[in-house]
Amino acid sequence: MPGQRQFGMDHEHYDWSPISTRGTLRWPNESRVALCVIVSLDKMEWIAPEGSYQAGNLAGGSAARPFPDFTRMSHREYGHRVGIFRILDVLEKHGITPTIAMDALTAEYYPYLVKHCLDRGCEIIGHGISVSQMITSNMSEGDEKEYINQSIKALTQATGAAPRGWMGPEYGESHRTPQLLAEAGIKYVCDWANDEQPYPMKSPKGELTSLPVLWELDDVGAMANRKVTIHRYGDLLKESFDQLYQDGAANGRLLGLSLHPWLIGQPFRIKYLDDALGYMTGHSQVWPANGEAIVDWFRQNPPAA
Amino acid sequence: MPLPPDRVDYSPIIERPVIKWPNGARVAFWVSPNVEHYEYLPDFDGNRNPWPRTPYPDVQQYSYRDYGNRVGFWRMLEPLDKYNIKCCVSLNMAVLEQFPEIAEAMVQRDWDYMSHGIYNTRFLNTYSEEQEREFYRDCIDTLRRHTGKQLKGMLGPAISATVATPDLMAEAGLIFHTDWVHDDQPVPIKVKSGKLISVPYSIELNDSSVLRDNHYEGDYFARICKDQFDRLYEEGAESGRVMCIALHPFLIGQPHRIKYLDDILGYIMGHDGVWQTTADEIAEYYIANHYDQVVEHAKQLNSP
Repeated sequence: MPGQRQFGMDHEHYDWSPISTRGTLRWPNESRVALCVIVSLDKMEWIAPEGSYQAGNLAGGSAARPFPDFTRMSHREYGHRVGIFRILDVLEKHGITPTIAMDALTAEYYPYLVKHCLDRGCEIIGHGISVSQMITSNMSEGDEKEYINQSIKALTQATGAAPRGWMGPEYGESHRTPQLLAEAGIKYVCDWANDEQPYPMKSPKGELTSLPVLWELDDVGAMANRKVTIHRYGDLLKESFDQLYQDGAANGRLLGLSLHPWLIGQPFRIKYLDDALGYMTGHSQVWPANGEAIVDWFRQNPPAA
Repeated sequence: MPLPPDRVDYSPIIERPVIKWPNGARVAFWVSPNVEHYEYLPDFDGNRNPWPRTPYPDVQQYSYRDYGNRVGFWRMLEPLDKYNIKCCVSLNMAVLEQFPEIAEAMVQRDWDYMSHGIYNTRFLNTYSEEQEREFYRDCIDTLRRHTGKQLKGMLGPAISATVATPDLMAEAGLIFHTDWVHDDQPVPIKVKSGKLISVPYSIELNDSSVLRDNHYEGDYFARICKDQFDRLYEEGAESGRVMCIALHPFLIGQPHRIKYLDDILGYIMGHDGVWQTTADEIAEYYIANHYDQVVEHAKQLNSP
């Protein structure tokens, strides 16, 4: 529906709320910044199923080439074989509990990774079926429900528990997605890059919280799309943190960081992540936590006037 | 049911049998100049347009690449010779026929070669299996005729392939395929007959992606190559790693860039524990010493 030139949002997913007029959000232990690192384990398919949608700027490989593209597919696979372990080591070193956004194909075909992530105390959240199948409004409502259910079912089977959180592959949503996620029992969604605090989404069926990430700091957005150099990327992380730490003294802030092992997990990139996360966690008033813990806290301790 | 194309068994790098390189080296380091020729008036195969900017010829883009053969290649030799680098060339075979001075310079240095097709403007995607078999015969014969060497591997022409490529490569006697960038170690690729592995090539440490596609400059290329080496060198103390730097003479051979290649090679070759080698040698060594063990390990890891 086009905008109606009247007060508020041009959709019904959440209410308009400028950060300047909001109540005060307090994190545990007087923390100023909640640090949430979301690591995507997503599978690029050999042949995308007919009718599926791939993001126009879908990254990987040196460029999209005609089928078959061994290079593009295998570049992504690097994350599953090598990159993920470098990232998990860095997060562990800095006491950060990771949130893993895992797609259904990874859950089903990489039992080793599922077990490894669970053994290391990661939270695993829904991430669609594969990065080659993005949710868009091209899907019928029935197809989208089926897609969400299939993703949740694959994770439930692989991990023994239903995921509480969700991040769509490539942040893909239709105009229905938040409602359908809430209906399917999902408690929080990370697709919306529009805030520095969690906020409630309006869901008639179920209760859904938005846990936003900073899109500019997404490793794919920054380095694959915007071509930021890796050392500058490390600085962006630190500079972002500095500002949030300052702002978070008055009203708690969230640093939602989305990472992809095939990209930031490359040998020449990982030390810059290590360095930046070490810088952040070296501050006393930072709360590194997974998505679930942050959302639970937010619901139990809503911003107060 | 495995996921298609079912060419690779999953194997996390932290769980694998330890890879030991000759003399206890930590990193097998190979340099791959892409020595290419792009046709002035290519045939369009209806699938991938070699010169999408203009109707053919595209003199700007053609001459940019031809510069690599006329000038850049010769400049690139200086730092390679200074550090005594034995390259594994990603070679468009027609270069051997069209530009004999380049062939002679490579043969003199006893470099190794992997096929990179006949021309960089002819892609495999639309080939029938028979055409692709003939293509391997042509590459093998042409290389032997001009260099005396037996062809052992391929980086697909302009990085192109068919679904059958790994099978047909192995059938033709090739042992390594470098279109795969899924690991920091060689990886067995499942084929119908024979043994084929991937040897880690790079599209990250590649002057074409870094400098041409992504618009960084030589200083950044040097920085990431050194950072890559540092990390792999550290990890290689436990189990051997492979590092590849991919070059294109028309890019790295530009006057403002060549000093960065010298910088990179000087840094890496200044370390002990570096096996400066070629993809041919890595593949032969790996197949002789590690292939069976790694295949068996991956099989067990993936059995239900």
